[in-house]
Amino acid sequence: MKKRIATILLLICLVMTSIPTAYAGEDDWYTYTYNFWGDAVASPDAYSVERVLYGRSFGDEVGVFLSPESLFVIDDIMFVVDTKNNRIVELQWTEGEFELIRIINKVHVSVDKKDELLIGDEVVVTMLQPGDVFVRAIDKETREKVYGKYLGPEYIPPKKETTEPATTDEDASEGDTEDADSSAGTSDSEDADDASDDGDGATDGEGDDGDGATDGDDGEDTPAPVQVKDVENVIKKDLNRDYDIFIADTKNHRIIHCDYELNVIDVLDNPKDETLAENYEFLPSKFVVDEAFRYYVQATNINAGLMEFTKDGTFTGYIGASPVTVSFIQRIWRKIQTKAQRARTKQYVPTEYNNVSMDSNGFLYVTTGSLTDAEIAVGNGKPVRKLNSMGTDILIRNGNFYPIGDIHPGNSKSISGASAFVDVVTFENETYACLDKTRGKIFVYDFQGNLLYAFGKPGMNEGCFQNPSALVKLNEETIAVLDRFCGTITIFVMSDYGKLVNEALSLYRVGLYDESADIWREVLKYNGNCELAYVGIGRSLLRQGEYKKAMDNFEIVRDSRNYSKAYKYYREQVVEENIVWFIVILAALIIVPKLIRKIIRVRKEIREA
Amino acid sequence: MSNIISKILGFFSGAGFKNYLKSLKYSLYMILHPFDGSWDLVHEKRGTMAAAHTIVILTLLTNIWDTRFANFMVNHTRWSEVNIIMKLASILVPLFIWVLANWCLTTLFDGKGRFKDIYMATAYSFTPYVLIGIPMIFVSNVVTLEESVFYTYFNVFALIWCVFLILCAMMMIHDYGLAGGLLSTIASVAGMAVIMFIILLFFSLIGDAIAYFVSIYKEVALRMG
Repeated sequence: MKKRIATILLLICLVMTSIPTAYAGEDDWYTYTYNFWGDAVASPDAYSVERVLYGRSFGDEVGVFLSPESLFVIDDIMFVVDTKNNRIVELQWTEGEFELIRIINKVHVSVDKKDELLIGDEVVVTMLQPGDVFVRAIDKETREKVYGKYLGPEYIPPKKETTEPATTDEDASEGDTEDADSSAGTSDSEDADDASDDGDGATDGEGDDGDGATDGDDGEDTPAPVQVKDVENVIKKDLNRDYDIFIADTKNHRIIHCDYELNVIDVLDNPKDETLAENYEFLPSKFVVDEAFRYYVQATNINAGLMEFTKDGTFTGYIGASPVTVSFIQRIWRKIQTKAQRARTKQYVPTEYNNVSMDSNGFLYVTTGSLTDAEIAVGNGKPVRKLNSMGTDILIRNGNFYPIGDIHPGNSKSISGASAFVDVVTFENETYACLDKTRGKIFVYDFQGNLLYAFGKPGMNEGCFQNPSALVKLNEETIAVLDRFCGTITIFVMSDYGKLVNEALSLYRVGLYDESADIWREVLKYNGNCELAYVGIGRSLLRQGEYKKAMDNFEIVRDSRNYSKAYKYYREQVVEENIVWFIVILAALIIVPKLIRKIIRVRKEIREA
Repeated sequence: MSNIISKILGFFSGAGFKNYLKSLKYSLYMILHPFDGSWDLVHEKRGTMAAAHTIVILTLLTNIWDTRFANFMVNHTRWSEVNIIMKLASILVPLFIWVLANWCLTTLFDGKGRFKDIYMATAYSFTPYVLIGIPMIFVSNVVTLEESVFYTYFNVFALIWCVFLILCAMMMIHDYGLAGGLLSTIASVAGMAVIMFIILLFFSLIGDAIAYFVSIYKEVALRMG
């Protein structure tokens, strides 16, 4: 009998060991957020796809976007940096419709300024794989005051017969679009063929650490990029704006600064500094220009932070270099190694940024994708940072988890590794959205570093991304995501849920806690998983003196800090209200035993007497 | 009816129960006088198995109450992942293996303690965990986050106390010196590891064997079909 029981128990144990454990991964929902435990929990869609735009959506002359690297939006104008087509496409966004304004293939330069565009002994007015564009509003007087005079008779580069594109449509003037169409079209299709020849050529950028423009560094079988010559700009619509346009002409090693009519004002190139090698090749891939006309440039192969330039293009130094972190074990390991081994091991270098953007207060937000998974997991790696003017990271990270994207990356569907942020965009209420290249997701964080929601998926469907490269906001409720591989721009608009969350945060930030709590209550109707809502409500209740209710709200989301704060007041209140009882009980505890002892003694004495 | 009641009353007022209460109360003496206490526990027959069982059950209860009632600030329990059987086993199985390993080793090295003695002494050594753990559950519910370190410190203190008691008890019941007691304890921990390893090995081998026969069956079934 005993034996039989033992056998049955053994069998039960065996069966129990073979039951697989279920695990809900991040891939189960399109939009999700993290709960206290770090589980991905479903969330209503905060953004939904409004439309997906292809190059052809704007007319045949645009053709196909080829490895577009960047987007820029100012007012109602959107610039698409169509990198591998060596051009920038300018679109206007009115009442939800996009309209082509022009295709920028080259810039105009006055005869006086033509030396600025010299490359070798040739004046190059075209672009070679531009990586980024930055536009700012500036009126004519300011521009003249800051940069001086720049207009003059235009320099016409001499025509060369030997150049590649056969259809040199000299008479393709600005109004005559048909010829221009064909030229643009042919060059597009050639390039497109190149791309399709090497199959997944465009995706080989995924492997490297996301250094913006040089992704897919002219693949092994694609020919080296040639300067495209004799192309004209295609102008569909004449706009008159007071803008300065800055173009990171990456492969030409320069940043071109021109006015809205594309007359070159000046050019930033060849930074001179003793920290830079003699044969240093300046490859500006992403940059911003601040209120004081300074440039902050993220250049490929520079890991000392962002390069800072004055308005006249003088290199003044680096900003925001991340400190090198060497772990204890690495340090010990280096001690044991021989000199030769040490020389051959990986250098501990600071991480290279891959994108930079500026918020409305002038703070720089930078992202980096070259962190190791381990660095990110322990919180050493900071894939998104907010830099002040000293270059110090001042991003607030008070959430349950660091803003690192997926916190349990996992290895599903042949995609592995931590999230790699490639772009960041900031909103008015200091929330910011980060674009994750690894899984084609967008993570939106509030100003405290709490994840509001993450959405997106890798894939080919609407709202999914293959290799996203840029993220911009069209307005506070509309964002656009550029996909490098598909050449698409996906427009997302905020849903009611997203608007509510945003509004609640905005109200909270300006100190309207009670109003914000009302909105959070609305949010909870949409999404019971929204932990921030409980905290928001709890805080408002705490301010109103409803300590017990506040505690309940904080307990739901296990917010110890706020719970403790509420509890402190609650405890005080309880003690104050019942102070009489406390004293009575305390007194009873002291007096009653004494009394009993006395009674016993008295009785004893009586009995003995 | 009155018969049953009188029987129950009789049990509670009988000598056996009085002895049990006395032995249970002895645990209080033992935790304060680890050396004398554990010597007398075994050699002077001050402890009883019933009291030992009681303390073990109280330990289990303390552990469960702590998971259930301690404030969430100090208590990171995910209720979806709590398995009460596993929780009980996570105390009982190591306890059993510890007693087994210790007994196996000490019988080889002139230990005077019997299996029962080792179990009893170990069980009595858990007393501080119960005595401190239960009040700390209450304390955790009336403190703020900053004050909650008391909860942590006191519980750690209780565990250190328990370990110290076990060490003393091992020295006393086996009649070892300090070095012997320490060595035998460390060796027992190693022995626990070995036993666990053998158990795991056994299960995985059995599992493999079963998988082998299952695959043979599947193969045959497919061929026949």
